[in-house]
Amino acid sequence: MTTITTENPVPGTREGLESGVLEAAANKRRKRTYLALLIPGILGLLVSFVFPLLYMVRMSFNEGAPDGVVIDTFTFQTYIKPLTDPYYWRVTLDTFRMGLTVGVLCLVVSYPIALFLVRSTSKYKGLLLAIAIAPLLTSAVVRTYGWMVILGTNGLVNTSLESMGLIGSPLKLTNNMTGVTIGLVEIFMPYAILAMISGFGRLSPQLEEAAGSLGASKFKVFMRVTLPLSLPGVFTAFLLVFVMAISTFITPRLLGGGSVQVLATEIYDQTTGLLNWPFAAALSVILLVLFGTIIAIYQRIVQKIGG
Amino acid sequence: MSEARLFKPRFNPAKPIFNIVVFLLYLFLLAPLIIVFVVSFASNQYLSFPPEGFTLKWYQALPSETIFVEGMKVSLIVAVFVTVVVLAIGVPAALALQRFEFKSKAAMEAFFLSPLLTPSIVLALGMVLLFGPLNLNNTYTGIIIGHVAITIPFVIRTTIMSLATADTSCEDAARILGAGPWTVFRRVTLPIIRPGVIAGGVIAFIVSFDEAVISLFVAESGLPTLPVQVLRYVENSADAAVAALSVILILISLAVVVVVERVMGLRKALN
Amino acid sequence: MTESKLSIVDLTKKYAAGLAPAVDRLNMEVEEGHLVALLGPSGCGKTTTLRMVAGLMDPTAGSIMVDGREITQEPVNKRGMGMVFQSYALFPHMNVEQNVAFGLQMRQVPKAEQKARVAEALDMVQLGHLGKRATKALSGGQQQRIALARALVVEPTLLLLDEPLSNLDAKLRDTMRTEIRSIQQRTRATTLFVTHDQDEALDMADRIAVMNGGLIEQFGSPIDVYERPRTHFVANFIGQANFLTITVGEDVGPASAAGERNYKIEVPGLGHFGAVGASGLTGRSLPVLIRPHRLRASLQPSASVQELKGTVEQVSYTGDTLSIAVRVGDEVLQSQLHTTSGSLPHTGDTAFLSWDPEHAYILPEHAKAVAA
Ligand SMILES: Nc1ncnc2c1ncn2[C@@H]1O[C@H](COP(=O)(O)OP(=O)(O)OP(=O)(O)O)[C@@H](O)[C@H]1O
Ligand SMILES: [Mg+2]
Repeated sequence: MTTITTENPVPGTREGLESGVLEAAANKRRKRTYLALLIPGILGLLVSFVFPLLYMVRMSFNEGAPDGVVIDTFTFQTYIKPLTDPYYWRVTLDTFRMGLTVGVLCLVVSYPIALFLVRSTSKYKGLLLAIAIAPLLTSAVVRTYGWMVILGTNGLVNTSLESMGLIGSPLKLTNNMTGVTIGLVEIFMPYAILAMISGFGRLSPQLEEAAGSLGASKFKVFMRVTLPLSLPGVFTAFLLVFVMAISTFITPRLLGGGSVQVLATEIYDQTTGLLNWPFAAALSVILLVLFGTIIAIYQRIVQKIGG
Repeated sequence: MSEARLFKPRFNPAKPIFNIVVFLLYLFLLAPLIIVFVVSFASNQYLSFPPEGFTLKWYQALPSETIFVEGMKVSLIVAVFVTVVVLAIGVPAALALQRFEFKSKAAMEAFFLSPLLTPSIVLALGMVLLFGPLNLNNTYTGIIIGHVAITIPFVIRTTIMSLATADTSCEDAARILGAGPWTVFRRVTLPIIRPGVIAGGVIAFIVSFDEAVISLFVAESGLPTLPVQVLRYVENSADAAVAALSVILILISLAVVVVVERVMGLRKALN
Repeated sequence: MTESKLSIVDLTKKYAAGLAPAVDRLNMEVEEGHLVALLGPSGCGKTTTLRMVAGLMDPTAGSIMVDGREITQEPVNKRGMGMVFQSYALFPHMNVEQNVAFGLQMRQVPKAEQKARVAEALDMVQLGHLGKRATKALSGGQQQRIALARALVVEPTLLLLDEPLSNLDAKLRDTMRTEIRSIQQRTRATTLFVTHDQDEALDMADRIAVMNGGLIEQFGSPIDVYERPRTHFVANFIGQANFLTITVGEDVGPASAAGERNYKIEVPGLGHFGAVGASGLTGRSLPVLIRPHRLRASLQPSASVQELKGTVEQVSYTGDTLSIAVRVGDEVLQSQLHTTSGSLPHTGDTAFLSWDPEHAYILPEHAKAVAA
């Protein structure tokens, strides 16, 4: 009969016996493997992401001279103008206000669709979802163009209203903040819908039904059950849209027609028009800081709520 | 099944109203695409309403619009290279992030996803500044490098998701049967995660193909991509040529959506 | 001494510093052609042990030898083993034949020979007709058999099975149990089989290693671990068990099993009985094990045998047998009766319990104060 042996039954090497030797060797091998796998990606991001940003930050401390000449120095001069000139305060405030307006409106129009998609038991649910986010896969340039056609002086809205006799002269819906806002709300809707859907995890029709069967009215069910449970998704969606809105360029450029100035268009004008690279870089740094602060605050809030 | 389902629900007036609201919102969401579609067939010489007649002239004129044809060529070349490069560096990185444990893993993952949280205008400015002294502005290399940053998060996400749902014991089984690391990857891991890799590649392709801001900064004057050409055209002209072009692009995108949805479910790919 | 096929020496795995080891200086010798079951409760380290033998995981310390050759440092893909996973782990993108052929391709077996051996392996698991099927289009039992064929076709040095039956329904599990056992005996593949199902282990294994808390508590034949458990844990884990703490009395001569003695024992305050145990136990206070189906219960006292008198607390009827719980003093003892045996007891009846001395086994040691 075979029994348990406690001493080494087979004479032979006991090299592998030292505690942890094999594991250490394996860990080393593993480390080499994952580093080899990561390095191309890290290099790719260094070249295409980290270096450009670092270079830009450095550039913001240089001095811009006329005709695109950059004076290599280290000065905070470039930051003084955007931080003291009321014009840039206004641009920053406008950017902020645009972000808030677009964020709120986008939530209002996206929420019903997201709710509908989460609750739906239809077999077309997948298709309806695909339709809701399909615009995401068309260029923002194309969709902004569509809004120009709808909102323009001879566009769909104005000609319809005029032919119905509701207005005498065309409404001014493009080349101003109204048009930009409408366009942006629509452009960011798919993102908001997606963010809400994934944040609606805890929301279930059963829960609403349960509340309903306990005698709560539809409105009460919505206010007391549906809305609170969907808040995390709503928060995420708002942040996402806000952050994208304050940095967006194409739509303010096209629908704003040069008369809407936000940080992004200002950065563009400083580069292509005025060739003031250090100043454009300083504006970008300001935008980045704004961005980072908002995201950091948001994460604090999420942690507070979560914990 | 919940018990409530056993009873026929009372008629509830809130429901049709809600459905109508949802329908109208869908209409709003799709309005620019629908309108572009309509005006692309309208014979009005300048963009205006209502359409005066039906025509295909905008479509027929497209092949002779050299700026669009040139732009399309540039965009396609860029998108193809971007897709190849980003898959080649993104899939291995996803593998490292999903299949290995290491201390800086969470930080690494955040790093790879961070371009998504960076305003593209800021990134674009950084690139044009850095590429200046390197003579990369207005070159394919410049645009491709620029697009790699913004597409890599998508590839990493979709690949990690596929890896997370794949049964690792398949890989173990292959190793025990005698396969070395490379063989395991090529013959087992890669075929299993292929849907995620394809979805990531397709998204990278579309994002690169549609990208306007980085292309505008890096290569507006010398090597304009299609979105840059469209942008310029829209700023200067008021006819429906862009509408016809847009319809073509929308149809391409729609076809891609259908394919991706079929392959792995679009929502998973984008979330 | 016969050469072992597999020797495991002081095998230890610590997942993280500070954590208790998942496998703690485990030793085991497996003979060629044997099927050894690693049996134990969840989390006792069975999978960890198996994965270290397979080479999927590096041990913290210890060594593993196959045919007397140290393989502890050999990479997993060079060990030439075969393994069947709980989830089967068939390659989803390959059909049945491609799955089975994979290991042969890795060994660069010529195409023609591959084909023949794949066909042979599929015939062995009676699925020769399914060669071109996609693995998704197979039932659980069929997938299981393909996984077995894939592992066996390479003629592995060791066959490793990690709970291969746990994903199957009860009926199929019985069929597959028999089938795996018969294939194993035909191929004489030395096999390590992880399970937490005692019936499976008793039914299939040549040897059972009962594991607990990273250690092997007992390694022996099914009869051995059932009839002569070394510890309280083993007795309890395999089959049902009654324990009585007794004082071992006089050695009254050799028992029928080699090396064992008959003893008189005293159940404190309740009388003197007979039991068997290892030699030299006289005078010690130890637990005695009596399996429920060997504990006789009757409603009438017997004149000839010494009995324990108790009260029936619970009766549960399962068709063939009747299980009763009888309170005797502070202890509750389980007894199993055949439903054919005369008058059946009811709750509250007085019952008289007795046993044959050879069915009461004195464990050589006490239960550890706190089970590891
Ligand atoms: N990767 C790991 N990291 C840390 N601890 C682990 C890891 N894998 C297993 N363990 C721990 O090691 C112990 C043994 O695990 P193992 O998987 O070998 O148990 P098992 O006997 O196979 O159990 P089961 O029957 O549940 O499969 C358990 O306590 C488990 O929690
Ligand atoms: Mg296990």
